Amino acid sequence: MYQLDFSVLNEYLPAIMDGLVMTIKISIMSIILGSIMGVAGALCRISKSFVLRSIGNVYVEWIRNTPLLIQILFIYFGLGVFFNLTPMTSSVLALSFFSGAYITEIIRAGIQSIHRGQREAALSIGMTDWQVMRLIILPQAIKRILPPLAGQFITLIKDSSLVSVIAVTDLTYVAKNIVTITFRAFEVWLAIAAFYFILSFGLSLAVRKLEERLAESD
Amino acid sequence: MIELKNIYKNYGSLEVLKNVSMKVGQGEVVVVIGPSGSGKSTLLRTINGLETIQSGEVYVDGIAVQASEANLHKARQLTGMVFQQFNLFNHKNVLDNVTMGPIHVQKKSRKEAEEIAKNLLTKVGLPEKASVYPSKLSGGQQQRVAIARALAMHPQVMLFDEPTSALDPEMIAEVLEVMKGLARDGMTMIVVTHEMGFAREVADRVVFMDGGVILEEATPHEFFTNPQNERAQLFLSKILNH
Repeated sequence: MYQLDFSVLNEYLPAIMDGLVMTIKISIMSIILGSIMGVAGALCRISKSFVLRSIGNVYVEWIRNTPLLIQILFIYFGLGVFFNLTPMTSSVLALSFFSGAYITEIIRAGIQSIHRGQREAALSIGMTDWQVMRLIILPQAIKRILPPLAGQFITLIKDSSLVSVIAVTDLTYVAKNIVTITFRAFEVWLAIAAFYFILSFGLSLAVRKLEERLAESD
Repeated sequence: MIELKNIYKNYGSLEVLKNVSMKVGQGEVVVVIGPSGSGKSTLLRTINGLETIQSGEVYVDGIAVQASEANLHKARQLTGMVFQQFNLFNHKNVLDNVTMGPIHVQKKSRKEAEEIAKNLLTKVGLPEKASVYPSKLSGGQQQRVAIARALAMHPQVMLFDEPTSALDPEMIAEVLEVMKGLARDGMTMIVVTHEMGFAREVADRVVFMDGGVILEEATPHEFFTNPQNERAQLFLSKILNH
């Protein structure tokens, strides 16, 4: 009979913490880079230029219709043939490209949901297109897309566990190693799941707080 | 001040404006009336380029609006526009709505812009609402803020696109009052409206449009007592006898 023994967690806590820090680091970098790509992607998708619109469409459809695991493997091993990418860089690139495609769609929908009267009023006082976007449309759109955006960020944190396949020493990779050494699969994986839960749920609570603050003008 | 020459616009086979020409002089108040779908709002919106046209020329204070992006931009700064749906910036409070143009377009300091804004908010009767968000205001109050926002750019011309059509009856008067005040101060105004009382009282000239053409132009007195055009007569009999 299997005897539960959580003491292994204590013993390997420093390693787990290192993995946790790595997961957080990759997640934060990918959230930032992915958001930038999302804004750029959305601006392409709604652009007047056919070329930019096409680039936006191809990007979104290509990413959304291929598995993330394949994208990670392609960037690390595939592009690795031409460029010298570290596992860390590859992971951030893959996760950013991946979440960026979904964020593109979220932001595009948000921008298009803002009443055109807002744009017309801003143009009528002499704002340039870029000012209208930056000062009037995006701030209102971001408020509206915060909930789906938070969902996407949480998905990204959880999906980051896939980068363990290219030997990034994140939470999942560390856990695999500890299980290999200690055979304490139940305890370790349960604890690791709890860590992911705390990260994801913590983020969703933070976003909820932010939403309340932004609701001031509603 | 404003000159429209042979403005033509169509959506496919639907002709919205059929070679419309019009002139508005400095300090003149022109009221444009006509049935819905007559092209009057579209005509107004061509003046600041919110509506593109297929042919014709628009001049604002001598600037050819269609000639270049820079001209369009300049013309927009000379014209203030007030919309049927107010279109206040929902994420900004009243003061920020009004200071936005002076700060970001005219590059004035925040202090200077706020001074202008506070004076204008007093002028439209809402000095105490500076820190309130649009969603907390009544329609009439929102529209008065929208007027202040347009005035903050020191426009040469004010364009009103059915400014009272979305308002509850009891709020129409407060907006019209502000508009009358502007007219008294000598502002050049083009007003698309269904408020015949306003036209009669304030307009220097009434323009009647239907089917994308101007059918009659006259002083309010002539227009309301003795309209020449048949469709104008029909229109007036419909709206005045109910």
